[in-house]
Amino acid sequence: MLPQLLINGLIAGSVFSLIAIGFGLIYTTTRFFHFAHGAVYTSGAYFAYLFYIILHIPAYLAFPLAVVGASALGAGMELCVYRPLRRKNATPMVLLIASLGLFVILQNLISLFFGDDIKSIRTAPVEVGLPFLGARITPIQITIIVVSVILIIATALILKFTRMGKALRAVASNPQLAKVSGIEPNRTILFAFILGSALAGASAILIALDIDMTPTMGFPALMMGVVAVIVGGVGNIAGAAAGGFLLGIALHLGVWQISSKWQYAIAFGILLVFLLFRPQGFFGKRVRRVSL
Amino acid sequence: MNYLLHIIIFIEIYIIAAVSLNLISGYTGLISVAHAAFYGIGAYIVALLALHFHTPFMLNLVLAIIGAVALATVVALPSLRLTEDYFIIATFAFQVIIYSVMNNWVSFTSGPLGLPGIPQPVIFGWVVDNHISFLVLGGILAILAYLFSWRIANSPYGRVLKGVREDEILAEALGKNTMRFKVTVFLVGSGLVAIAGSLYAVYITFIDPSSFTIDESIFMLSIVIVGGMGNLWGSVLGAVLLVSIPEILRFLGMPNSIAANMRQILYGLLLVLFMVFRPRGMIGEKR
Amino acid sequence: MGRKGNSSMLTISHISKTFDGIKALNDVSLTLERGKVTALIGPNGAGKTTLFNIINGFIKPDGGRITYLGKAIIGQPPYIIARRGIARTFQVLRLFESLSVLDNLLLSFRENRGEALFRLYFSPCSVLNTEEKNRTKALELIQLVGLTAKVSEPAKELSYGQQKLLSLAMCLAMGGDLLLLDEPVAGVDPEMFRRILSLIEALCRDESKTVCFIEHHMGAVAEVADRVIFMDDGKIIDDGTYQQVAKSQSSLRAYIR
Repeated sequence: MLPQLLINGLIAGSVFSLIAIGFGLIYTTTRFFHFAHGAVYTSGAYFAYLFYIILHIPAYLAFPLAVVGASALGAGMELCVYRPLRRKNATPMVLLIASLGLFVILQNLISLFFGDDIKSIRTAPVEVGLPFLGARITPIQITIIVVSVILIIATALILKFTRMGKALRAVASNPQLAKVSGIEPNRTILFAFILGSALAGASAILIALDIDMTPTMGFPALMMGVVAVIVGGVGNIAGAAAGGFLLGIALHLGVWQISSKWQYAIAFGILLVFLLFRPQGFFGKRVRRVSL
Repeated sequence: MNYLLHIIIFIEIYIIAAVSLNLISGYTGLISVAHAAFYGIGAYIVALLALHFHTPFMLNLVLAIIGAVALATVVALPSLRLTEDYFIIATFAFQVIIYSVMNNWVSFTSGPLGLPGIPQPVIFGWVVDNHISFLVLGGILAILAYLFSWRIANSPYGRVLKGVREDEILAEALGKNTMRFKVTVFLVGSGLVAIAGSLYAVYITFIDPSSFTIDESIFMLSIVIVGGMGNLWGSVLGAVLLVSIPEILRFLGMPNSIAANMRQILYGLLLVLFMVFRPRGMIGEKR
Repeated sequence: MGRKGNSSMLTISHISKTFDGIKALNDVSLTLERGKVTALIGPNGAGKTTLFNIINGFIKPDGGRITYLGKAIIGQPPYIIARRGIARTFQVLRLFESLSVLDNLLLSFRENRGEALFRLYFSPCSVLNTEEKNRTKALELIQLVGLTAKVSEPAKELSYGQQKLLSLAMCLAMGGDLLLLDEPVAGVDPEMFRRILSLIEALCRDESKTVCFIEHHMGAVAEVADRVIFMDDGKIIDDGTYQQVAKSQSSLRAYIR
């Protein structure tokens, strides 16, 4: 039983990590909670449906295009809503409320165009998993873990070695210093949205390949991402990834003893414990919230 | 005609919800997405008491308020120590947890099947069982809730709330125990919205968890924002607007299948547009 | 030491505070006497504002004690320390920006029965009573600082100098005996400068308030300070009258100016 739970936890965790990293990238550069990230996530899966199922574009083209689509949506939100708001000196609260509005709009547009029923983009028939270390894992699930790890490593490399990546890390750790050093915050923020939204879209496609999609899939996924970011440590990308995996495993172990319908309550219970006792998460720095 | 009365009753319910949320979010600046959870608690307490113990409505109402306030205390005490963006996340968390309990504690709440057949109120002999009676009951409750909130908002206490919103550190440095103010206003607001939930339960006579989700919280927040944070009268107007406009859409012959989505899109659009063009709301704060 | 009545208002003993490895305050001890004006000077980063934040209760020191009128205040929440009688202004001016000048002042009074929910509903008369009294006092204070014309204006509409006067008036409204002012005249025009300085002088002379202010403007320090404390690098370097400190730190004085 335990190995299966761990495997399942790893699968869930890898997706949570991608969402968390994307969400975290955006939060550390913009300093507000971009809730619409959940809807951008959902759009990734539905773009895949549009390209692969409706337009019959071959999978190896359709899925990357879908990621681009999600990325474009996220970037669009930044360019059309958040940037103008920042120009007006909007407080993080205002941005957050606008983000809630965008979430609602996008999710319902998807529901409007595609319907509320479950849609599928499976490329292969459902099959029994292959045996592995005392558990069973399907080829799709293996793909999920492998692709997630690749994407996480790719993101880490981008952050470490590209100019934009370094700029992003600079803005995340010290926005004033970054600006004075000549880093343009708006371009860096846009990059965060492009990269973060791409990760979200990709993770939705991966999940959809395993368990199909509905227009409301974004909200629970976003919740898990938020929990993972806070548990792993806000402002710490590696922490967000670690938080994702830890959360996936913790949830599946928890579900072992308690029925799975309580999983969101458990996840948010964990979140509350962290918010109250260790708000910097496992790996984050102690954030000085208010300047005196 | 009954349809019009139905709309007005819902406006009354949402006036109570919006005015109470305005105290918490508009005046004090504590943006919360857990308001629907307390709305739901009010509804469930009234429903369960009426169904299992056949107690009179007024008693159930009082117990619903007490129950909501008790739960609000559990939510408020830990969460209000957090900074504002983490506070929202905490309210998010509590909303989801409370909804999970409503949905999953099947032995107690019947879970997703809901509670049908909630008895209609009999208040000191007055049988409330038709639209006009509910309109009157709702009207009385809405007016009382409004006046109660008005007294708070336009008092020295209300002034401190605004101070906490503007600059909490300064308020502390001036000698105000800001934690006390934040907790009490949260409790008051949550108790008030339980009244709205109670009214909803006995009017529709059926409740299930799907009416008390985060979407509902966001809807209530939209009313406060559109009407103007820090303006109670604005919340009344906001409730009128946001409850009636989707009905107008339906009137214009929009098929039911897309009406639900369009209504949500409309709320989302209002939130975004108001944030971009008029964050102060329709009326903005009273000077 | 205390003669007739206790003449020491605030006693700071061996206060230390480290932030992220940097020692912001290093074993600082000093005593403030009643009715005297003390200036706290020194380069930026010397720990002056940190000291204020610790006295006020917003930051907890790593070690040391502080007593106000004989009672320990470390560990108390800021609002209790404020109620005990310690008022302060902030380096980056803090006001209730969208509230009117009058509201800003009304919020500064220690006693207001209308701030308790219970009393709002059950003793409306006493609420009305204190509100009226406070209103009168507030208008007097507004007149004292010369802001009567701006009574109903939101605080953010005031000029910078007027905002500084407002925050000073709010400290007075608090009714405390110790005022900690963080750069009270920084950035104001000469007329405002005069007004603020004469207000500070009047406070000590007429009402024996104790004032401790942080300033970089040596003219102000020379004019009103009875005593000057020079801090650098988290330590007290010098302590005496303006002439004494200026002479012994003359090279540093040039660099502050």
